[in-house]
Amino acid sequence: MLRKSEVRRLGKDNIMAGLISNQQHGGSFFSQTPERIFTPEDFSPDENLMIQTAEQFSRKEILPQLEALDQQAEGLMPSLVRKAGELGFCGIDTAEAYDGLGLSKNLAARILEFLSLNGSFSVTIGITSGISQVGLSLFGEESQRQQFLPKLTSGEWIGAYALSEPNSGSDALSMSCRAERHGDKWVLNGTKMWISNAKWADLFLVMAKVDGERVTAFLVERNAPGVSVAREEHKMGLKGSSTARLVLENAEIPLENQLYVEGKGHHVAFNALNLGRFKLASMSIGPAREAITQAASYALDRKQFGQSISDFGLIRKKLAEMAGRFYAAESMIYRTGALIDQAFDQQGGSVEGNRLAAEEFAIECSACKVLSTEVEAFIVDEAIQVFGGYGFTEEFPVARLYRDARVSRIYEGTNEINRVFLADRLMRRAKEGRLSLSGSGDSYLSELAAKAFAHAGSGQVFIGALSDLAMLSYAEQSARLRAKQQGGIFDLAYQNFLQWAQLQGAAAYQIATGEAVHVPATPHLGIDELAAAVLETKAPLRKT
Amino acid sequence: MKILVPLKRVIDPYAKVKPLGDGSGLDLSGIKFDINPFDEIAVEEAVRMKEKDGSHEIIVVSIGTSDSEEQLRKALAIGADRAILIETEHIYDSLGIAHELEAVVRAESPDLVLMGKQATDDDNNQAGQMLAARLGWPQATFASKVEAAGTRLQVTRETDSGEEVLELPLPSLVTADLRLNEPRYIALPGIIKARSKPLEKRPASVMSSPKTRTVRYDAPPARAAGRKVSSVDELVAALQEKGAL
Repeated sequence: MLRKSEVRRLGKDNIMAGLISNQQHGGSFFSQTPERIFTPEDFSPDENLMIQTAEQFSRKEILPQLEALDQQAEGLMPSLVRKAGELGFCGIDTAEAYDGLGLSKNLAARILEFLSLNGSFSVTIGITSGISQVGLSLFGEESQRQQFLPKLTSGEWIGAYALSEPNSGSDALSMSCRAERHGDKWVLNGTKMWISNAKWADLFLVMAKVDGERVTAFLVERNAPGVSVAREEHKMGLKGSSTARLVLENAEIPLENQLYVEGKGHHVAFNALNLGRFKLASMSIGPAREAITQAASYALDRKQFGQSISDFGLIRKKLAEMAGRFYAAESMIYRTGALIDQAFDQQGGSVEGNRLAAEEFAIECSACKVLSTEVEAFIVDEAIQVFGGYGFTEEFPVARLYRDARVSRIYEGTNEINRVFLADRLMRRAKEGRLSLSGSGDSYLSELAAKAFAHAGSGQVFIGALSDLAMLSYAEQSARLRAKQQGGIFDLAYQNFLQWAQLQGAAAYQIATGEAVHVPATPHLGIDELAAAVLETKAPLRKT
Repeated sequence: MKILVPLKRVIDPYAKVKPLGDGSGLDLSGIKFDINPFDEIAVEEAVRMKEKDGSHEIIVVSIGTSDSEEQLRKALAIGADRAILIETEHIYDSLGIAHELEAVVRAESPDLVLMGKQATDDDNNQAGQMLAARLGWPQATFASKVEAAGTRLQVTRETDSGEEVLELPLPSLVTADLRLNEPRYIALPGIIKARSKPLEKRPASVMSSPKTRTVRYDAPPARAAGRKVSSVDELVAALQEKGAL
């Protein structure tokens, strides 16, 4: 396979090229403005070629088969995963030693965005290439990695991740699945729920409790004795993806399939989730990208009152806002990805180092997850509106985009649990002296956020409002710095996003503090220019 | 067999291009570039020939500024073995390109030159024929099928009156038509491998002065609106009035 020397690690190169600042650490956006951030325009030509292959694959292999995929046509999804595996898509950021490509997590996320134009394929490939491998990559023994990773990176096997249970969702550590040691094997009992890829998975990463309290991770093969998969859930969307319960009835697992330290399974589970949240952010703007394409195409074709509806002000306003918010989500996601790669380059390698690296930007990962999935929801909703009555039928693909998008705000940690986590983490880091909550003073939102964090308050509503302010500050700073670095139409995209973000921030501030607040006017919303750019390319904004 | 595939960096054929206000060129802001699609088909065909017979060597060559490295790397990712960039800012017409490629062919002595029938930017459809003439080599243009038959090639070409099958001795030159093949997805491991394949830069050697000159770029005039007629008689009258009948 590939030699190490053949692979350039994006993160390292970017640090050396000065594209991202060395000083950024988890939560530091709150009190500092970096000189530079990584932007999607910084991917190299050959990285863009990989991204282009991903888009072609989506357009030629996935989008023409949406109906058959939604009906779960026999063997179709696993065959598409294998095909994707042949092109390298099942192990983009897994090490070359296990037949992965050893590329950066940021590039893997960008590629995943373009593999995610359809939600069902997105979740299938996202899980087998991501969360099912990352636990092994970060916490596995060499022999475990050798045994399982090459099967997953090639697409020969499909992987799944099993944490949730019928009575244990957001409160994951309350799980009741048990593991007991019997001689030379582990015996697992319990039911895992909402398991994506269950129907076609060959390997499950399962969390269970030893002695009823010590959470431990296990690698469970589909064909092990006592392992079965229940019927498919009837879902509102993502009908082409498999979601079912994993049933463990005296399931017998070899001792060597226990992953990492007994009683430290929560490290495996939650760090896989931190990175999973980051990837989910890019997986949610993939369908949003496609919704913008569909809405722009339809707006150009549809004529009313003798003219194209793309000429009407309120349709143009929608397209401009879709583009502006997409731009902001994109700006923060790929800034964050480069930071995660930087953390792995600096700290990763050992199991403990990997754990610290995966945790470093957990705050940013949550911010990306929440903002991107809410931007996705806005975009697919407005896309339906552009289609009018036709959008409400299954004749056009926007209805599917709308249904598929709904779960993004629920899984990989609901947006509510992510909000609690985000502000909580920021305050904990401040208490530990690792960051300052005094604000960077570089924007209206950052000032509001600092004032709100200094306010006395408690309870989830207060915490949620603080999180919104922190998240909006991070998005605003990312969108602003990208516009400063790249210019062109991005200046207008930033302004358009800023208007919305400031209004949201003011509302959150009132909730947190009960105080009235003045919202500054945004000079130029760029509605006509942004709409024209989207209509021209029938896609989200590109650098001009 | 040694196969040389010349390729051209062109404006993304799906991009909408506009002339600059003063007509001196095209507005290229925000425009993507790619390998000329017919040249990409030629690269694909060469790679398929190599997949059948591993002893083949594929060399890709492009003429232009260092911007064309991106397209050469793409060809290496598809499966070419090495690349040559004739680095120059000189402006060529088709004959100038044929001169420059002739020098490359003389230096590399390939058994086969396989290239696109035309580039999608200028649509000249001349460089291949001119190169074959300069070399004094047999040529088969508009190929829709290429088969190696011992030391000869059998090429099916598309003509207005049907398919024509030619047999050519080597060395010879073939230009690719649209239906020759459908280029593959470029696999990620191939893109990574391409990073370490040799890409050699050479100076231009001929730089003949172009026989043609671009005077001005203008957008095609907008099509005038049509008119509906209510009967065949009215249609015939309207056509006669326009002098079409």
